[in-house]
Amino acid sequence: MATTAGGRKLGRVMPTGRVLAIIVPFIVLLVVGGGTWYLYGALNPPPKQQPIAFPHPVHVETLQLDCQFCHRGAAIGPAATVPAVEQCMFCHKVAVTDRPEVQKLRAAWEKKEPIDWLRVYRMPDTVRFVHEAHIQAGFDCAVCHGNVGQQQVVQHARDLRMGDCVTCHRVNEAPTDCTTCHY
Amino acid sequence: MPKWGMLVDLDRCSGCRACVAACQIENNVPINTEEIVNQRRGIQWIRIERYWEGTEYPAAKVRNGAMLCQHCRNAPCEPVCPVYATYHNSEGLNTQIYNRCIGTRYCANNDPYNVRFFNYWEPQWPESYYHYLNPDVTVRSKGVMEKCTFCVQRIRRTERQAKREGRALKDGDVQPACVQACPTDALVFGDISDTGSRVSRLAQDKRHFRVLESLGTDPVVFYLKKVDPQHVGDAAKQPAAH
Ligand code: HEC
Ligand code: HEC
Ligand code: HEC
Ligand code: HEC
Ligand code: HEC
Repeated sequence: MATTAGGRKLGRVMPTGRVLAIIVPFIVLLVVGGGTWYLYGALNPPPKQQPIAFPHPVHVETLQLDCQFCHRGAAIGPAATVPAVEQCMFCHKVAVTDRPEVQKLRAAWEKKEPIDWLRVYRMPDTVRFVHEAHIQAGFDCAVCHGNVGQQQVVQHARDLRMGDCVTCHRVNEAPTDCTTCHY
Repeated sequence: MPKWGMLVDLDRCSGCRACVAACQIENNVPINTEEIVNQRRGIQWIRIERYWEGTEYPAAKVRNGAMLCQHCRNAPCEPVCPVYATYHNSEGLNTQIYNRCIGTRYCANNDPYNVRFFNYWEPQWPESYYHYLNPDVTVRSKGVMEKCTFCVQRIRRTERQAKREGRALKDGDVQPACVQACPTDALVFGDISDTGSRVSRLAQDKRHFRVLESLGTDPVVFYLKKVDPQHVGDAAKQPAAH
């Protein structure tokens, strides 16, 4: 009752066609715009806020440290590993101790607490990635991680989903059996 | 490319279940609570089957046998999977790709050895156990099938180690958790395409047989019969020298 009455009234004031002509483009705009905005956000997540703003550029470019000086597992095991606080303290017992970010580091050291770095690259739990095999095969870190020496905050630089992995494996005649990466 | 296979010497198996415990911890197999076992939904990639013969001592005898996935070369479980989540790979492993599995359970229903297990629930561990989970093995979730992998993570790790040391794999390098844990050396693992490997040589023993061989599944898990000392004069009396 109420709806038909209301509908008739509305129809008299403004024909349905014109109502639709106003509402439909608005909805389309909302859906397309919102979708684009959402997709853009999903594809370009903002860089994560690390507990300490560790800059790769100064350590890699200015100080010329080797990646494997810090990421010691890369050539010998599955995980590249992120260095222990102790390893930063080789230098930061004396180096730039006045800077606030380094003071955070020293505070962690004094409290004997590890730093909870956030992961940037992370495979799903069903995937087994092994650094060692790739480093031994002669790939540079930059092949997958981009030029980390230029990244103030580490960015996800390569697709590294199954299609990407398997394509490179095919090209290099590396194994593509499912149990290479899933077990 | 090696073809992996295993041998179970029933004369050496004492039924201690060290293999079961080792497998459980190596492969993140969920804990089977009493409730789960009563529902017959417990998960054991390897189990000890115990059979009694006779009822009164001294005639009563117990027979133990390890049962695990037989990695059949003609596996009944493989062709029934609608999504190829289980297939035979070039190393002779009957694989189970957890993320591909959609949980139809056809494979388990077609499996004559009862060695495939379905996760009816999200597996749970007490929180203090989380640190004991093996990072090299996927923790399965509700709705997928799981089974013995011959510890493929150990095969991969050993292959990498050999490569790092610039050598080929040697017989006995790869040891699944059950084989490593067996105190009586009843389990032997190796490359059955290499006629000189220990598993190949032992599989030639005259006590050898395979379980449900008449089904034509062509398993790669070989068994050696138990020697019964009371049956003097049995043809198959002498256990092979290990
Ligand atoms: C073939 C591609 C590839 C190459 C080459 C590569 N990585 Fe990685 N890296 C990955 C992937 C994929 C992950 C995510 C691994 C995971 O989640 O299991 C990762 C993760 C990481 C991580 C964080 C997790 C961990 O393993 O500790 C660090 C640090 C890292 N890589 C450093 C390096 C360094 C340093 C090099 C060069 C020595 C390198 N990577 C070479 C693909 C690569
Ligand atoms: C080889 C010695 C060395 C090691 C090892 C080292 N650093 Fe540094 N780090 C330096 C020096 C020198 C600077 C100052 C660079 C400059 O700004 O000129 C610096 C700068 C920094 C800064 C930037 C300070 C600022 O605000 O400008 C941070 C943060 C930092 N280091 C954290 C770390 C952490 C975390 C580790 C361990 C993973 C580490 N460093 C390991 C020598 C080192
Ligand atoms: C001074 C020690 C140090 C050096 C040298 C260093 N890193 Fe790192 N790296 C870190 C620390 C600490 C983190 C964790 C914080 C972060 O993600 O920024 C990290 C994180 C990373 C990550 C992200 C890991 C993740 O969370 O997924 C990658 C990739 C990486 N480094 C690659 C490299 C490469 C490539 C080089 C050589 C060009 C290099 N690193 C040199 C200390 C270092
Ligand atoms: C840039 C090319 C390239 C990319 C990208 C790549 N791989 Fe590889 N991968 C190789 C090569 C080459 C080998 C063979 C190395 C060898 O023969 O030892 C290999 C070997 C492996 C191995 C075998 C390790 C072992 O135990 O022997 C695994 C696992 C693996 N890759 C996983 C991955 C995953 C997962 C990804 C995607 C995240 C990936 N790879 C991306 C080139 C690549
Ligand atoms: C070279 C490594 C590699 C090989 C070989 C590989 N995969 Fe993957 N697979 C991955 C990676 C990395 C991911 C996760 C990223 C993604 O979703 O693409 C993945 C994801 C998947 C997923 C999606 C899981 C999900 O939760 O969405 C399935 C299903 C899958 N793989 C099945 C297979 C099957 C079946 C095979 C064998 C035919 C296989 N994979 C071989 C690396 C590999």
